[in-house]
Amino acid sequence: MQLLWNGLTDAISLLLNRDPLVLDAAWRSLWISATAVSFAALLGIASGSLLARRKIFARSLLVVLLRAGMGLPTVLIGLVGYSLLSRRGPLGGLELLYSPWAIVLGEICLAVPIIGTWTHSAIRGLDPRAAETALTLGAGKLRRWRTYLSETRLSILLALLTAFARCISELGIAIMVGGNIPYRTQTLTTATATETARGELARGVAMSLILLTIALLVTLSIAWLSRGKEPQ
Amino acid sequence: MKPLIQIRNLEVRKKGMNICRADELDVQPGQHLAIVGPNGSGKTTLLRVIGALEKQFTGQCHLEVPIRQCVYVHQTPYLLRGTVLFNATYGLAARGVNARERNAVALQWLARLGIDRLADRPCDQLSGGEKRRLALVRALAIQPQLLLLDEPFADLDQDGIDTVCDALDEASGATILMASPVPLPERLSMRVFSLR
Repeated sequence: MQLLWNGLTDAISLLLNRDPLVLDAAWRSLWISATAVSFAALLGIASGSLLARRKIFARSLLVVLLRAGMGLPTVLIGLVGYSLLSRRGPLGGLELLYSPWAIVLGEICLAVPIIGTWTHSAIRGLDPRAAETALTLGAGKLRRWRTYLSETRLSILLALLTAFARCISELGIAIMVGGNIPYRTQTLTTATATETARGELARGVAMSLILLTIALLVTLSIAWLSRGKEPQ
Repeated sequence: MKPLIQIRNLEVRKKGMNICRADELDVQPGQHLAIVGPNGSGKTTLLRVIGALEKQFTGQCHLEVPIRQCVYVHQTPYLLRGTVLFNATYGLAARGVNARERNAVALQWLARLGIDRLADRPCDQLSGGEKRRLALVRALAIQPQLLLLDEPFADLDQDGIDTVCDALDEASGATILMASPVPLPERLSMRVFSLR
């Protein structure tokens, strides 16, 4: 207990003194996760709304696969990403392995099923009168699609926050395709694991505190947004 | 004159049950028609078939008007998230009318139905009667050739009924079909089509 307490006080001191390793990992984690969720939002919202509104071939199977994707272990995504991006892999020529962009790609794969599934469920669950109202008032395909997204915007925003929380707290992808290189690909989670293993408990606790703060902020945002989610 | 709506031997069946049957109905352009009948007689279904929202039917339902010129107003209207003005201008925006013009047209109709003071209010803060008036504004603002109203007088007090009747009088030229289980207001002179 004393060890953890000492770690906590040292961690606060590190944060107050703006430890470069801690701040670097925190900043990288934030931009990698934000970038991944931004790209995943485009793919997830498009695929989710397409599956919700269009009768396409094997739609039920695709929905099941999308839902199954929410439970993908991050190490599995990391493993597949490593196989694809390694020098002998099909995408080896891009030379992305052990770069932050490799982590971004992996986290996109993690976030798309979350955003896609939530978008699909939200639009499928929309009152049928919403679609009929837009149709009967003469809205074209694009305007109807925008209307569906507008009517379900709260659910989609919650999906984005959930995907962001999942991305920033994942470890498997960042280690396997990022390589955990300090000041280059190290994120909060990989740095926490490394520093703790090296006996630098204070740094580990400092980074965990940042992660905890981000997780709390996301959770509070989700709770606050969900509060206003009332059926019409 | 060629009828705007021509229905022959129309039948809608759901789960083996006949939920709507209309053998013959012709509606001339500009005519106002009340579809009356007891609950479950298929009034709403008939309006939905005419509005192309119900596609599974047998028989013939022919419209001499583009479907974009036909607006259906639900029995319990669905209002989109946003303000009263946003909803009132939705159909005009869908038709590419510029923001200034559509706001002016929508505000005129909101005034005619007595809810212009609510223009900036979020729709989830409206009463049942106000929601119904707004749904009518949304439909009337685009000046459709064919207006399909499903029980437009439900939830309205006498003042509301009078206001809606005034607004329908002003929808000059439009063909109006209205489903109603109750006797219509006396001032509305409409042809009546009964469903059993």
